[in-house]
Amino acid sequence: MAKKPSMGRQKIKIAKIEIKNHLQVTFSKRRSGLFKKASELCTLCGVEISIIVFSPAGKVFSFGHPNVDSIVDQFLSRNPPPNTTTRHLIDAHRNASVRDLNSQLTQVLNELEAEKKRSETLDHIRKLASQRKYWWEKSIDELGLNELGQLRDSMVVLKKNVTNQTDKLFVEGNVNPSPFFSANGIAMVDSAEIKPYQMNASSTPPHVQNIGYGHGFF
Amino acid sequence: MPRSKVKLAYISNDSARRTTFRKRESGLIKKAEEITTLCGVEACAILYSSYSPEPNVWPSPLDAQRVISRFRNMAPPEQNKKMADQQSFTRQRLEKTTEKVTKLGTENQHNEMTQVMYQCLSGRLGFECLSIGDLYYLSGLVSQNLRVIDRRLEFFQRHHSG
Repeated sequence: MAKKPSMGRQKIKIAKIEIKNHLQVTFSKRRSGLFKKASELCTLCGVEISIIVFSPAGKVFSFGHPNVDSIVDQFLSRNPPPNTTTRHLIDAHRNASVRDLNSQLTQVLNELEAEKKRSETLDHIRKLASQRKYWWEKSIDELGLNELGQLRDSMVVLKKNVTNQTDKLFVEGNVNPSPFFSANGIAMVDSAEIKPYQMNASSTPPHVQNIGYGHGFF
Repeated sequence: MPRSKVKLAYISNDSARRTTFRKRESGLIKKAEEITTLCGVEACAILYSSYSPEPNVWPSPLDAQRVISRFRNMAPPEQNKKMADQQSFTRQRLEKTTEKVTKLGTENQHNEMTQVMYQCLSGRLGFECLSIGDLYYLSGLVSQNLRVIDRRLEFFQRHHSG
């Protein structure tokens, strides 16, 4: 599944956007980015802020720390807010909650980075693979009748072997080598025990022999 | 040199915090200017800090008051609908990012296990390194591929007989 390539960072002219669709998308993204920057400023430097933005459609978005209304009121009345114990307690509680959320967010952002790297590695592997031209890795629609038949047979045998291996692991009570391939990225190992078959990249029909573990189908 | 990542926590070093404040405050104002110009919308920002007795108000106190009036003249439900504070905003970001991770993770797992399948087919990989979870996934993936192959074979039969 090829990802639609994004346009990346473009230098743009700071003037009103003409195309309505672009304008709306830009507004949405930038508003979110603006609030993100405001939130970070509050966390990093301990400031209080209120931002009000109207959308092209006339709806209003606002962001405030500690909250929009108290900052607006403080500005309008030019009076500092009451410095009570209750307020301190509320602030402390809220800040603790935000700290906790921020650390969760940082963790998830790191996970996202890891998945993005994994995605790039996979794209790279796929590109390399397509260069070697193993016919069975082509899209199924591109295969001829003969190839389809062979592939089908091999798949059926593979499925059976997978099931056998699963049963074997259950019986042995050995349910877990830690998942080799799930969260941590690619680790394609050329196991020394594997005796690969004649890996025939041409289209001469290979014969499917007695299949054991680690034996090839082609 | 790639940018160093900043930890999302209060900067305890006074001078570092002041430097960061000045940079980020001006960056924030710039972003506010850009969005109002690019999108032809109205906005204001009010910033209280320990670095100045008066708040930093953008675009200007008068303009800000006009925006605030427009804001406060709206019905309260309209005002509150898209109102956020740090908690709600961060929670939202957390949700969205988690969604992205799940989606990308699923895609990655599919692509990865497809490679595993190809490698098993050609004997480049043995089952020893696969966990039960991997094996179940692989089994499902093979079944899925078989269904596609069978549909394709059916297509051939329909169009090549008679």
